[in-house]
This record gives sequence, C-alpha cells and structure tokens, in this order.
Amino acid sequence: MATLTRQDLNFGQVVADILCEFLEVAIHLILYVRDVYPSGIFQKRKKYNVPVQMSCHPDLNQYIQDTLHCVKPLIEKNEAEKVVVVIMDKEHHPVERFVFEISQPPLLSINSETLLSHVEQLLRAMILKISVCDAVLDNNPPGCTFTVLVHTREAATKNMEKVQVIKDFPWIVADEQEVHMEEAKLIPLKTMTSDILKMQLYVEEKTQKT
Amino acid sequence: MSRDGWRKKASEDDGWAGRGGYMAAKISKLEEQFQKDAPRERQKDGTSSCIFSGVAIYVNGYTDPSADELRRLMMLHGGQFHLYYTHSKTTHIIATNLPNRKIQELKGEKVVRPEWITDSIKAGHQLSYVQYQLYTKQKGLKFSSVCVRGKQDPSSSHEPSKPSLNHPQSDSIKPQPSHTQTLSREVLKSTHANHKDNFTERRNHQLDVRLNGSCSIISEEDAERPRVNGIHDEDDDDDDDDKTCALLPKGSQNTLLTNGDVHSVNAALKPQDSFAELQLHVVETGSHQSHLPQTESRDQEEPSCSSAGSKANSHQRSLISTASPAKQPGLHNMQKDLHPKPTSNPGTSAAPQKGNLHDQTRVRLNGSHLMTPDSSTLADSSNQAGRSGKGTEDGIISEFFSHSRLHHISTWRNEFSEYVNALQSRSRAAGGAVFSGKEKLKKLKANCSSGSLMAAPQVRQSCILHVDMDCFFVSVGIRHRPNLKGKPVAVTSNRGPGRVAKRTGANPQLEFQYYQRKQKPYRKEKTDGDLEMTLSPQRDEVPSNGVDLDLAALSMAEIASCSYEARQAGVRNGMFFGRAKQLCPDLQSVPYDFQAYKEVALSMYETLASYTHNIEALSCDEALVDATNLLVELGVTPDDLARAIREDIREKTGCSASVGIGSNILLARMGTRKAKPNGQYFLRSEEVDDFIRDQPVSSLPGVGRSMSSKLTSLGVSTCGDLQQLSISRLQREFGPRTGQTLFRFCRGLDDRPVRSEKERKSVSAEMNYNIRFTQVEEAESFLTNLSKEVQKRMEGAGLKGRRITLKVMMRKPGAPVEPAKYGGHGICDNFARSVLLAQPTDSGQLIAAEAIKLFYAMKLDVKDMRGVGLQVQQLEGSYADPSGQGPSRGRSIKDLLLAKQPAHSPRKEPLAQDGLSEPSSSRAFSSNQERVTPPSSPPSTSSDPMPGTSKGGLHHPHTPNHVRTYLNVSIEVPSPSQVDQSVLEALPLDIRKQVEQSWRHREEQPSTSFHPSTPPRTSSSPPPGPSLGTLVLQLQNQPGQPCTTGIILELPDFSQVDPEVFAALPRELQDELCSAYRNKGNAQAQAQAQGSAVEQKKTFPQLKQPVVGKLKRRYKKRNASPAKKGPSPLKKLFPENSPAKSSPSKTLPLPPIHPDLKTENVQCLSSPSTDVLETLSKLNPRPVPTLAGAYEFSDIRTLLSEWVTTISEPMEEDILQVVKYCTELVEDKDLEKLYLVIKYMKRLMQQSSESVWSMAFDFILDNVQVVVQQTYGSTLKIT
Repeated sequence: MATLTRQDLNFGQVVADILCEFLEVAIHLILYVRDVYPSGIFQKRKKYNVPVQMSCHPDLNQYIQDTLHCVKPLIEKNEAEKVVVVIMDKEHHPVERFVFEISQPPLLSINSETLLSHVEQLLRAMILKISVCDAVLDNNPPGCTFTVLVHTREAATKNMEKVQVIKDFPWIVADEQEVHMEEAKLIPLKTMTSDILKMQLYVEEKTQKT
Repeated sequence: MSRDGWRKKASEDDGWAGRGGYMAAKISKLEEQFQKDAPRERQKDGTSSCIFSGVAIYVNGYTDPSADELRRLMMLHGGQFHLYYTHSKTTHIIATNLPNRKIQELKGEKVVRPEWITDSIKAGHQLSYVQYQLYTKQKGLKFSSVCVRGKQDPSSSHEPSKPSLNHPQSDSIKPQPSHTQTLSREVLKSTHANHKDNFTERRNHQLDVRLNGSCSIISEEDAERPRVNGIHDEDDDDDDDDKTCALLPKGSQNTLLTNGDVHSVNAALKPQDSFAELQLHVVETGSHQSHLPQTESRDQEEPSCSSAGSKANSHQRSLISTASPAKQPGLHNMQKDLHPKPTSNPGTSAAPQKGNLHDQTRVRLNGSHLMTPDSSTLADSSNQAGRSGKGTEDGIISEFFSHSRLHHISTWRNEFSEYVNALQSRSRAAGGAVFSGKEKLKKLKANCSSGSLMAAPQVRQSCILHVDMDCFFVSVGIRHRPNLKGKPVAVTSNRGPGRVAKRTGANPQLEFQYYQRKQKPYRKEKTDGDLEMTLSPQRDEVPSNGVDLDLAALSMAEIASCSYEARQAGVRNGMFFGRAKQLCPDLQSVPYDFQAYKEVALSMYETLASYTHNIEALSCDEALVDATNLLVELGVTPDDLARAIREDIREKTGCSASVGIGSNILLARMGTRKAKPNGQYFLRSEEVDDFIRDQPVSSLPGVGRSMSSKLTSLGVSTCGDLQQLSISRLQREFGPRTGQTLFRFCRGLDDRPVRSEKERKSVSAEMNYNIRFTQVEEAESFLTNLSKEVQKRMEGAGLKGRRITLKVMMRKPGAPVEPAKYGGHGICDNFARSVLLAQPTDSGQLIAAEAIKLFYAMKLDVKDMRGVGLQVQQLEGSYADPSGQGPSRGRSIKDLLLAKQPAHSPRKEPLAQDGLSEPSSSRAFSSNQERVTPPSSPPSTSSDPMPGTSKGGLHHPHTPNHVRTYLNVSIEVPSPSQVDQSVLEALPLDIRKQVEQSWRHREEQPSTSFHPSTPPRTSSSPPPGPSLGTLVLQLQNQPGQPCTTGIILELPDFSQVDPEVFAALPRELQDELCSAYRNKGNAQAQAQAQGSAVEQKKTFPQLKQPVVGKLKRRYKKRNASPAKKGPSPLKKLFPENSPAKSSPSKTLPLPPIHPDLKTENVQCLSSPSTDVLETLSKLNPRPVPTLAGAYEFSDIRTLLSEWVTTISEPMEEDILQVVKYCTELVEDKDLEKLYLVIKYMKRLMQQSSESVWSMAFDFILDNVQVVVQQTYGSTLKIT
C-alpha cells in the first residue's frame, strides 16, 4: 500500500520494536537450548504461537532487557549490522556465536495487512530453528557464560558513547578474545526476508569445544 | 451520588426495570398531551405566564393543592409536569411529606413544598425554592450536593431547547456550560427569570447562595478558608459579597483540584469555565451592588441583563464558543460594562483599563522582562517573544547570563573576592598598602580626641563589621532621581501598570494553588503556634493572600529590590510586581541598571579597602570586615569606625549603608538587621544573650524554610527556644554538623573567620528561564553551550572539577504547559543526575559530553523541560600552573573587574585539544575493534595515504564513494569484444560512430590508455576502501573529445592472471588482453602470461568451444547493464584435469591477505582471486542471485538434480556457474539457502556413482568455503 522510506515517522522504531522483541525471545531460547543456564530457571511460554522457553531469573531477565534496550536505538537508526550472542567457556573463550545479521532495505513498501502476520511467520520460523539447533551443534562444555555483542556500521559507536540509554550500562569495545574464534565452523540456521527487514541467523561454532 | 447510582436504585425500587421502552413511550406521550393541553388551558384561564419556564415538577404523594391542580398551574405558567419522575428532566419534586426512605433516595434533588408554586404564582415570578424546601438538610446545603446538582444541570440546559420555552433570554443563557457551577446556574436563573421586578427574588437568591457558601466553608478545612475567601478579595470589598461568593472559588477550586491532572487535555475548555465563572460573578456583584441603596445602578444593570444586555450574554457565549485567548480582553470589557461603579473597587477597576490595553502592549510587558530596561520598541520585543522559547539560539545562554540579575550577583561576588585577593597580594608585594581611609580616620581621631587618648585602648576583642547597602538596587536606581526619594520604589523589569495579558495554556490559579498546598504545612504551623515572627519575609510574599481570579492579568515580573517605603506597604523583595502594585498602588518601578550597580559596588569595596584588606565579599552590596586589628591600631571604637565607613560610602556612592558590629560574623549580621535602614548597631557581647534570645530562628544563617519548619515542629521559634534543646537532640534531628552549628549559633557563637578568599564548592550555570525545546538536538546544543559557560566560569575561577551534575526542571505532570510567568518554569519537578569523572576537568567539551550522556540517561521529554543546570563539584584548583594565574592576579583591579575573563589561553589551549583528540581517538579505536573485519595486515607497502589502519577504517567509506560516483556519471564504453554486435547495430548512427571512434582511439594510443607498469594498487587515486583494486575503472579525460571517453582497465599485474581463467576466455578477449599486456611493456610478465596462455590453450582444446558459446551468452545477459564488470579476472578459475589437485591447502589463500598486498605477491600462481570476486560483488548491488534463472530453492533443487543425474561428467563451466551462484548467495547474506544447496549437492553428488561428481562437489565446496571464510571468518560446517 503505502510506500515508506526509512525517514518516515518512527518507522525505524517499529522495526526496532519488532526486532528487539524477537531478540529477547531468541536470547532466552538460545540460553535454554545451549544449556548455558540450568533448565530449572526456564519456563515455557508461548510466543509467535510456538512454545518458547523463557528464563524466570529476574537478574538475567533484567540484563537481557537492558542490553536490548541499548541495542534498540542502534537498530532504529539501522546502525547495527550484527547482534551476536556469544557463548563462552570457563576461560571466556567463545565456543559458539549466534549471529543475527541484520540489514534493512532502504526503501520499504509496507502493506500493513499482510506485513505483520508475514513477519511473524518468519520470526516464528527462526525461533523454531533456534529451538532445534542443538541437533547440528556439539554440546557445550560445562560452565558456559554468554555475552551479547553488537557489530555496528561505520561510526555508530561514537553515538553510542553519547547516548547511553541506560545509565551505567554502557557499551564497551569487545575484546579480541571474545570476538575471535579459532577454526570456527559456520552453520547457517535461518534467513528471513521481509519488507521491513532482512535477517539471517547463523551459528559459528568452535571446532574443538573442550 | 452519581446519576447512574440513582437510576439504578430507582429502577430497582420502582420496578421500572424492563419496562424502559414502554415507560419511555408513555412518558413522551404524556408530555405530548401536556404540551397540547397547555395552550388550551391557558386560553381557558387567561392568566398565563412564563414563571416556571424551565421548571419541571413531579408530585410525590399527597399535596395541597392536589397534583392535578399543580399540573394545571404548571400548564398555565409555562412549566412542565411529569407524571413520572425522570431524573434528568425533572427539576423539582413537589411533596408535603415524605417517608425517610424516599428522602434518602431523593437526596440531592430539589424537594419543595407545593407552596412554592402557589406563592410564586402569587408573586408573579419564580421564587427561590430554597425557602420552600421540604427538608433543609437536603441539596444545596451540603458540599457534596454541589456535584450532584452540577450533574443535573445539563438537564436544565437541555429543556430550553424546546420551542415552548421561548423566553427571550433562555436561549442565550442556557446553553452555556454552566454545568460545573452551581452558582452559575443559580445566577443564570436569576438573570433569565422575569426581570421586571425580581429584585426581592434575587435577594432571596443571594441569601440562598450565602447559605451555601457558609456551609461549604464549614465543611472545609479551616486553614483553607482564608484562601477561599482570598480569591475574591480583590473583586469584592464588601463583606457580604465575600461570603456570598465563597462558593464560587470553592467550586472552581474543586474543579481545578480534581481536574488538575487532566487539565492539559481540557485546557481548551478550562479557562473558559473560569471565565464563565468570572463573568457570572461579575453579574452577581453587579446585582449585589444594585440592592444597595443605589437604585440607579440597578437601572443600569437591568438593561444590560434583560433586553439589550442579552447582548452581553451572547457576547459571553461567543467568548465561550470561540475559546480563543484573543477574546479574553473582551471579558474585561464586559466587566467594565457590567460594573456600575468601578471606582468603588480598585481591584477590578484596574481590570477594565487593562482590558483595553492593546495586545501588543502586553507582549512588550512580557517580553521586556529580561531585556535591558531601556525601553525597547514594540516590534522588537514582540519579535523577541515569538522567537524565544527555544533557548537554543547561539549565544542565548551568554545573553541570558549577561542579563540575568542572579547571574550578576553571583559573578560579582566572585569578582569582589578576587578584587580583595588582588588587593591583599598587591599590598603584600608592595610591602604595605596605603589605607587612605584609615589615615583619615587616624587624623580625625587625633584631632578630636587628642585629649582622651586613654579611652581608646580596650581589651583586645575581635570585632567584625557587616557592611550592607540599604536596598542596594533601589538606592542605586534612584541615585540620580531625587524625585523618587522617599517614595515607594521597586526595581523590576516591568514598567507598566503591573498587568499583563493572560496567555494561552497558562493557569496561574493552578500554580498558586500548588504553591499554597506546598505551603500548607507552614501555614498550619503559623496558626498553631503563633509564629508570626518566625515567618521570613519570603513566606509572606507567597501569594497566599493574593490569589485572585484576576491574577492572571497581574504582572509576574519579580521585584528585585524595593525601598523601605514600599516595604512598609507590604511589598517584599521577590514579590511579583502586579501583586505589589495592588498592595501599594503608587509604587514606582525603576529599571535595572547593571552598570551603575557595578560602579557603586566597586566604589563601596574601594572604600572598605581604604581601611583594611581584611574583607570578605559576600555579594555586590554586602561585605564583612574584620576590624579587630584596625581598631587596636587606631584606637577608635567600633562605632566610630562604622560611622566613618558609612559616611565614606555615602559620600562616594550617594547610597546609604548599614553596619552591624559584633564580635563574630553571626552577631555582626544580626546587628545589621537591627541597624537597618541606614544605621549602625553594635551588638555588644554583654547584650548578646538577651538580644539573641528573641531572634527568630530563621534569622540564623543556614536556617531556611525547610529547616525552620522542622524547628517549628519541634516547638522552636526563637533562638531562645532553640537554646533549650540539647546539642545531642539537635544533632539527632539535623545531623552532627548542622546540629552543632545550630547549637552554637543560637547562643551567638560563631567561629567562622572572615575569609577574604572563600573556597568554592562548586561551579555551576543554570538557566530555567525561557527553556522550551522542541527537539532533542536543541537540548543537546543547549547543554553544549551551557557547558561552555561553565567552562568559562571554571576558567575564571581557575578550578577544575570531577563531579558533574545535571539538574533538570521538568514540567510537573498536569501542570499547565505555559506557566503564569512569561517564559518561566512554572510548577516543576526537579531531577538531578551526576557522574564522577576520572580526573578533574574544566573542558567544556568534556563536560558537555558527560552532560549529554546524563541527559540521555534521564530519558526526558524535551518538550517538558523548563530548566537546565550544570554543576561541577569536587573542585581542585588549577593554580598549580602559575603562569596562567599569575598575571591575572597581578593585574590592576579595574582590569580585573571590567574584563571578566582573564586570559588563560596558555592553559586553555592544550586542554581544548585534549578534549578534542581524546574522543576521536577512542572512537577510532572502538570502531576498529567493533567491526569484525579480520585483523588488518601490517601497514601496506602501497601508497596508502592513511597513516594508520584504524583511522583508515573510519574514513575510507567516504572517499571511494566519491570516486565511484564520479565514475558512474560518465558513460563507459566497453571494449569491442564486450559489445554485442547486434546491439551496436541497433544504435543510432551517430552514437555508433562515437563508440567506434572511441575504440579506434583507444587502439591508437594503447600505451596511454592502459596504465603503465605500475601495479594497480599503487596507483595514487583510491584509498584502500573497497578493495576493488584490480578492477577499478577509470575514465580518462580526453580534452577535445568529450564523447570519446574511453575505458581504461587497470590490469592486474600479469602475475595475477590465472592462466586457466585466461584460457577460458573467449578468443577476442584473450587477444585484447594480450595486446594490453604487451603494451604495458612488462616484457617478462607478458611473456610468461602468453606462454602460459598458450600452454593452457593447448590443454583445453575441447573445453574451449562450448565454454565460449555459453559464456558469451550469459555474459551478455549479465552485462546488459552499464554497471559493467571487468573482463576476465572475474571468471572463476577452474582446475584443469583433476579437481583433487587443487586441494584446499593450495587454493586457500593465506587467509586475510589484504588486497593491497596481493599485487606484491609476484609469481604466486595459486593465489586465487576469490577475494576479488567478493569485493567485486560488493561493488554492484546485485539482484537476487539465480542459478540459470532459478531462484526458488525448489527450482534450484530440480535443476541440480537434473544436472547431476543426466550428465555423467560435469562440465567445468557448469560447475563454475554453481560456484558463482553459491558465492552470490553468500554475498546476498542468504547462508541458509547456501547451506541447503550445498547439502543437497553433497547428497546428490556423493551418491552419484561417478567419482567425478564427488570431486566436483569437493571443488565447489572448497571454493564456497573460501568465500565464506573471507566473508565470515569461518567455514561452513558440512556434516
């Protein structure tokens, strides 16, 4: 119907809202699927009409929420290239990286009737892929932790420094150690293409995890 | 009691439920009958009237006269009779006796005795029902009933719409939104009722209202009463009126309080309501006055209300309907119209005058608030008013601060401190200063008391003088205006009559109420504890006594200072000018004159400094002098000294000063209080105890409003009371330090020394005037500017600070958008956040960066911002560097005072640079780290203009962009081999000629058209950016031949040309390339290439033909667009015989070789051009990747399956296409599909019986892995 450009009112916000909501679900699910936290802290919920697991640990939830809150302004401005959930072993060497590679088409044509349901379908597919990704991944060593990285486009970090969305929750430059993974294997999980968003999810897995 | 509730009950009780439809029909039928019968009845009787128009009665139970008779009477006299009670329509219930239950039910309704009707008919007009009420306790007498009646009102305003009730005025009056006001309705009724001789009637009315009013007051808190009354003080001088109208503010207060939160939503409506009130109130007042002996005033009013006066009503209505603020003056006019005797009422009499003022005048009054007092032109200031409100324009901050009175005072204090400092250091340097004043005094003393020298030597006791100018601003202001001396004078920016227009969105009443509520605790204490004295003057100034519906029109300009004459009239410093003008009508206003203040203050300090240098500057008009040594030296009494100083000051400045003398600062200050005005007081140590006992606690320094209220709650009002409290108690209540201070202060003990240089605790800049942002960027730039101001001040004070605090005033939710004071902040919530820096700074940039961070962290709506302040604490002196401070210290005093900012340039410069360089470097660093780009290779040998890789990463996205756009502007002419002959033939002749000509031209100068031996990457032009090195297309500017821009291919070094690829090229292309390389003159590379090419040609004779055909076709398809790729290097290499040969180890590039470096890898034949491929594809945003036209995965699967199953041995070309497709998938970021394709191929090909397929798959996979590795830094996991 209406053809909107990125500049159009709060369009970036809509995308960011949708995406951050999805990322929250996805992060919870990844943490569950990859056994980063004991399954006891997870509860089954329903999102995108499929069952998902969500942590009920308040601190963890807060962390995820805060993180995504900080990601959101970047997505709004189309400055986030990748959002990466890194699972690290005890030595803080990454063993798995769940990479959400995001790109937004510059010109957006939105058909409001079909758009949302269509996007939801795509997101649902992605969630389902995450929930079964353990089939293609090796088991993680015990005692893993996770962190969230964002790869920004160009000089977006400059603004991030300025616009600290949550006080005392600033972005820091990731260590090389956290980013780099030796002999990584790449497992594509899902690619979605919609009018508002193109996103692909793949996992980079360390060949020798232990 | 809500209507719904009643209805529910009614329906339950009366069993009407379920009969709604029937009942409604019946009622309307009865009504119809009634309407039909009415005229007939009237004809019959002949004594009809309209007494009861708008009245609908319902008869409940037995009455005398009977219900039927009442029905007839109503018919005759214009009323309505309801056989069934309808809550919304019935206005009166007629009954003589009601059971308790029904009373409960009908609570809130007007239940009257039937006599009301008969008496009204007798009287010839509708009487007030109040006297006929069946139960006096019912509606109208209780506060709660107000609401109910208010609710009911729509009904009454609904009725008149019926044609039968065509009272001349009912039209104009009824539809008004009177629903909020009981009184308004009453008044309306009284006005629309028969005006002939309803005088007594109205009298009744007033009685009724008065009853209401007093009742409601009783139900109110006592404390609120003065306020309630106060609201109308201005309008009504009569006591009677006071009470009568008490209900009005009551109601308005009610609505305001309850609606406070939604007010902004209703904003359009609200002012009108209050206007309606005001209007009605005026009508009321008018009528009231008319019942006083002056009958002529009644006559005056009569027409205004009945015949011609309905114009006034309609006027009012229009005012309501249009609701535009522009109409507001109309109200004042109205007021004037309706007011028979304006002179009797100064408060309102001012209003009409005001109302006549032109709008623009008011703008000026507003706008000139902060402007320099010199009267400005109208247009200018109205411009100002319109333009302001952003607070973002450049320089507005410095402008603000250069005009701000507070700012002047605050900076001056520092300046005078500096001044004193400078004096001291100078005298120290000079080895003693000349104290002219001292000498004079010495002489004087020698003259007059030479005989009694013995009197002077006293016990050496410390002696502090507190010198304070008497109402400084005023006395300076009237220095040269002797005519104003002895008159009440106030210094303020407002110079008009003290009234301004009300602005849209402003709601002064609400603000006043807010402040009143805030004040309540204090007020309570006031009444409780007889603490008149404890009230600081500021408290009185709080408009508790001045709330007035008319206040909107009062000037909100604050009085900076007022003369003692004005103070006698109750005017206080800080009071709003409009209010002060009311208190003291002949109050004169004097504009600010900052230059004069400065002069006077300076001469005051000079005077003081002529006695001693032990001066502590408190403010521009106030200083402490430690005279201990001076007195001993001179041997004079403190009083003498004080007198001398005062005389000196008066002489030099023409203004009077008061001096308080005490043994410490506290006592000296208290002495000043007693000395004022224009006096001196020596608080001797022996009388201290008695003196201080009676002092209010609030006179102690550090005891402000909140602390005195806390003290009051402890039962403490004077210092004597305070002395009763133990130190432990005080410390418990106020904390250890404050407690101890209080304990000492109330005993007159104070050990603070007179410090000529006070340590600064914080440096700040704050602005809460005229802050109206609309966008975040404005706020950002404002913060930046404010930071600059802070920087300026910090530099001025030579300080650096670590803690940065951002203070923000936000409009309180529900507060009016536009505050009562023009440009003011109104009711606000204050927020503050602070951050601690690693090291002290005074760099405005750093401060701004932090402030903006804090600002974002606070997540505020910029539109509601009303004030912004930046404060820097945890200061450290930056005096360490003497070079910066030294000269400024040593400079002349005048210079110091006049040139506000001493030059600190040597210190400032590097700092600013620091601020600049630090963020940028960290930014570059972070961006480098944040990106996933593989670690960049060691500095390339190519002539990369960028010094470091990190910076290059930041910048190169721009430069190549430029280059590319430039390139795309011109048309590129492909080389002859690339042109489809048919296309060429289809071109218009002239264009074709041009193309051909360009070819010819190229061949003619081959040596120039191709870049000579230099490897492409070292070419000067594009920075590393997108490493399209080998394929950058450059257009050669050929002057004189604009259209023949030839294409120049930057050929890769021949060593980079893969022979296999070369072999796969079509014949023509090969030739072209060969000639190109030959022309390059690089004989060796050329020979090699050719040799290998020839060799390759020999080895692939069978492949070549089909490949050419196929390739060409595809080529044309792909290259139909002008975005042309280069020729051969694009094509993927293909291993000749056995794919196994090209093992990954061989094909894999030394992973992240920077393209820059590649050209240097001479003779590295195995080095693939995959990265070239990759970067190339980045260049052209390509359409969806397709494999032989297939896009959907299912199609591709079919295609692949067909391919593998039908062909026994895969052809190189096809495999190449597949690889290409896969590469495109990677670039299209569709890894999922790639993954599926690969897995599918794996299944297909490895299942295949032919080992060739398996090898082909390995080959494809290897190549794909390389691409993936290049793109993502890791390889696909194929299980």
